[in-house]
Amino acid sequence: MANTWGYGAMTNSLGDIQNAKAIIIFGANPAVNHPVGFQHFLKAKERNNAKIIVIDPVFTKTAAKADHYCQIRPGTDIPFMYGMLNLIFKNGWHDEKFIKDRVYGMEDIMEEAKKWTPQKVADVTGVPAAQLIQITTLYAKSNPGTLIWAMGLTQHSNGSSNTRLAPILQLALGNMGIEGGGTNILRGHDNVQGATDMACLSDTLPGYYGLSDGAWQYFAKSWGVDYDWLSGRFKSKEWMGKKGFTLARWWAGVLDGKDGNDQIHNAGTNLKNLFVMGNGITSIAQQAKVKEGLDNLDMIVLCDPFVNEAAILTDKQDDVFILPAATQFETSGSVTATNRSVQWRSKVVEPMYEAKTDHDIMFELAKRLGFYDEYTAGMKIKENKKDFTWPEDATDEIARIIKTIGLTGWTAKRIKKQTENWHMFDQISGRGYGEMKGEYYGLPWPAWTETHGGSPLLYNINRSVAEGGMGFRNRFGLEHDGHDLLAGAGSAPKGSIQKDGYPEITAENIEKVLGITLTADEKKRIGKNWKVDTSNIIAEKCMEQGIAPYGNAKARAKVWTFPDQIPMHREPLHSPRSDLVKEYPSFDDKENHFRVDTKYISKQTEKDWSKEFPINMVTGRLVNMNGAGMENRASKYLAALTPEMFCSIHPDLAGKHGIRDGSMMWIHSPEGTKIKVKAKYSFSVPEDRIFMPFHFAGHFQGEDLSHKYPKGTKPYAVGESANTVTNYGYDIVTQIPETKGGLCRIEYA
Amino acid sequence: MSENARLKFYCDEHRCISCDGCSVACAEAHELPANINRRKVITMNEGIFGLEYSLSIACMHCTDAPCEQVCPTDCFYIREDGIVLHDKDKCIGCAYCLYACPFGAPQFPADGAFGVKGVMDKCTMCAGGPEETNSHKERELYGQNRISEGKVPVCAAMCSTKALLVGDSAEISDIYRERVLSAGHGAKIQPYGWSTAYGSKI
Repeated sequence: MANTWGYGAMTNSLGDIQNAKAIIIFGANPAVNHPVGFQHFLKAKERNNAKIIVIDPVFTKTAAKADHYCQIRPGTDIPFMYGMLNLIFKNGWHDEKFIKDRVYGMEDIMEEAKKWTPQKVADVTGVPAAQLIQITTLYAKSNPGTLIWAMGLTQHSNGSSNTRLAPILQLALGNMGIEGGGTNILRGHDNVQGATDMACLSDTLPGYYGLSDGAWQYFAKSWGVDYDWLSGRFKSKEWMGKKGFTLARWWAGVLDGKDGNDQIHNAGTNLKNLFVMGNGITSIAQQAKVKEGLDNLDMIVLCDPFVNEAAILTDKQDDVFILPAATQFETSGSVTATNRSVQWRSKVVEPMYEAKTDHDIMFELAKRLGFYDEYTAGMKIKENKKDFTWPEDATDEIARIIKTIGLTGWTAKRIKKQTENWHMFDQISGRGYGEMKGEYYGLPWPAWTETHGGSPLLYNINRSVAEGGMGFRNRFGLEHDGHDLLAGAGSAPKGSIQKDGYPEITAENIEKVLGITLTADEKKRIGKNWKVDTSNIIAEKCMEQGIAPYGNAKARAKVWTFPDQIPMHREPLHSPRSDLVKEYPSFDDKENHFRVDTKYISKQTEKDWSKEFPINMVTGRLVNMNGAGMENRASKYLAALTPEMFCSIHPDLAGKHGIRDGSMMWIHSPEGTKIKVKAKYSFSVPEDRIFMPFHFAGHFQGEDLSHKYPKGTKPYAVGESANTVTNYGYDIVTQIPETKGGLCRIEYA
Repeated sequence: MSENARLKFYCDEHRCISCDGCSVACAEAHELPANINRRKVITMNEGIFGLEYSLSIACMHCTDAPCEQVCPTDCFYIREDGIVLHDKDKCIGCAYCLYACPFGAPQFPADGAFGVKGVMDKCTMCAGGPEETNSHKERELYGQNRISEGKVPVCAAMCSTKALLVGDSAEISDIYRERVLSAGHGAKIQPYGWSTAYGSKI
């Protein structure tokens, strides 16, 4: 996404889905994961006669509400989308003008799409050719169409290719930057977008600034700390710019390449302590390895309102600390929703018993580690204060620093006013009434200035920049292979002084692009470019001239820095089709991938996995639970809905193994691990695959670990974690685990 | 709400996604024992394309309530607004009402034999019971009385897709009628012409 057009976020909003005429839901299950948001899908059907198309390996609650359902084989999303593109280009259903003016590199996609005829797609994906033709025809002819996805597209070894081809499909049809169109990626948890924006990531500073020296210099200055002090905290200066470990593979950092584990590149040492704040690490792939990692740590600290089941999983007896963290009701601050909009959350009660808020825990830790003053300095800068007020000053600090995604408009005062007046906005367009006129609900970023009303619909050139319009971001240079990467003639946002494409705005080009002359004082105060201009002169001047500070460029179908320049099909590391593995092999093994050597082709070809492990395995969520399920299973009424861990299995598959409805079964993984779960007969899965929820913990490979819960903390429901048997496999760019489609073997227990 | 209003539930099967928000909200609000399901979500033909439907079911507060007609101790009473309630002090737990009810709404505690411990429990449309409104005893026996506070019953308030509707039956039928009539809005109503049949390129 970010590599296609600038930002990796939902482009439209849940409310805007009501404007769609066709909705493809690809590897997502909003009826279960976003039940309240799903009303907009249903309303689109009711009010707009929109057709819902669901593409998923498992028949979900969302599929039950669909007009068309395709049961695709896990990990074959790319062939399916190329199959659609094949028909779109062949029949001339693509938007030629849009592609010419606003997209770079589509010719390569057209070439690749030619290979994917409906018959070929049917063989690889398992979706009948007639159905592919029917769906593509419907989708291409129903404008606008929106494309929804979630973890079903991302959690694959080539997930980063999936999430590029889906935007390309929308670009081909000209479905971008319009009401009812867009790529609407649904974020899974409360404030995931906010957490990502604030860099709960190991490869960037907050606001996606990256880890370059320039970025560190900018942040040192903005945080009010000495750059040399900051770099002195690292082993050496070069380690400042290196990516860290990821959530998916931190345990490899502990195991240090011993006993056949993947080698690490961590300055000659391994990880010794683990500090977890509100993360259900028992819902991460390869639980046996997670356990091994936990067992080999010197110290584990777990901060959560409920007992984090990492403490139950590990055999470690000493130096495991469980800190009671406060819940959302016991603290306040801003949270960011899936559509980049922000809301203020107020405190309902003071933290109860010994619980402390997350920020208090962090402050106390910073004090003990001796950098509390530096840690909190940034909050005092704006008004040159002696002390700070939490969380208002933290929110204002974010607004002051983060220009890349346009958070300048997100001051604490504005966010509070928005939330207090949330009844004064239109539910579909998000436009404000009365006092809130001129603002969109939640000020969806980018909100370029302190008076900008937000941008509910990314890349929409039919609105002026001041009203939330913009072209694609100029992020990948001005030209590639001799081709101009700026947008074509006449494709600038409405009311712009520039009618064509233009580069991102810098102090150097601002006068030329905007056709203005800066005063001597402005020249003195202006920052180097729009991303680091804390004076806000660039943004303010841009608004006056109708210019998007980040430029107006073409989206790119081709990413020349990726292993696959255009998305290519590659079979999952564990594929049931060994014949196709030869034709579509995985990537070469990747050295030092987020500090860990990661296997691709060597794992895929280690043996013919499908012989021993013939059944596909898909994991997913239940409506009554989220994440690792710690807090949900501790609720009597939620636990009662699914009191036991189960596996959905087709009666015919179960029958072959003598497994009856409700009896126990073993599931074995290629990694040599196994789990014992209850069989649940279901027609939602075909005979070649099984489905399991991933919210359970407390059992491990057949053993009940319930005795390990501290007194009075055992949840109402415990069970095997599906992730004990999810397979090895990580995305080539992001390292997200390949949990949506591995292999397994089953037997009666 | 008009003076003659009769309060009804209606569950729109095109909207219900079986999220169980209603049943969990109900259990939580009235602090029900684990085996009492005042409200349940039923899914038919699970996993079969085109045939899977879900509905949220509880006491339907019938105008001509069969439970009331068969009760040997006459513990039921129907309010003017149509809500069917019962008096737990009169109930003997015989379960005749369960036999009579077409929806399986009456619930009995499973931790004792019929008649020994278990008096019947069912959906009150969040309107409490015959005890003094909002008294401690009413709360203990029948759960919250939200209607007396002018609030919507908790199940419908929590419904994530607004499939479950509750209120004046006339208004509910208006809301549902609007949904049904608007379905198909924007659909092609003109007869098939040349371009539809053969495409615009020919």
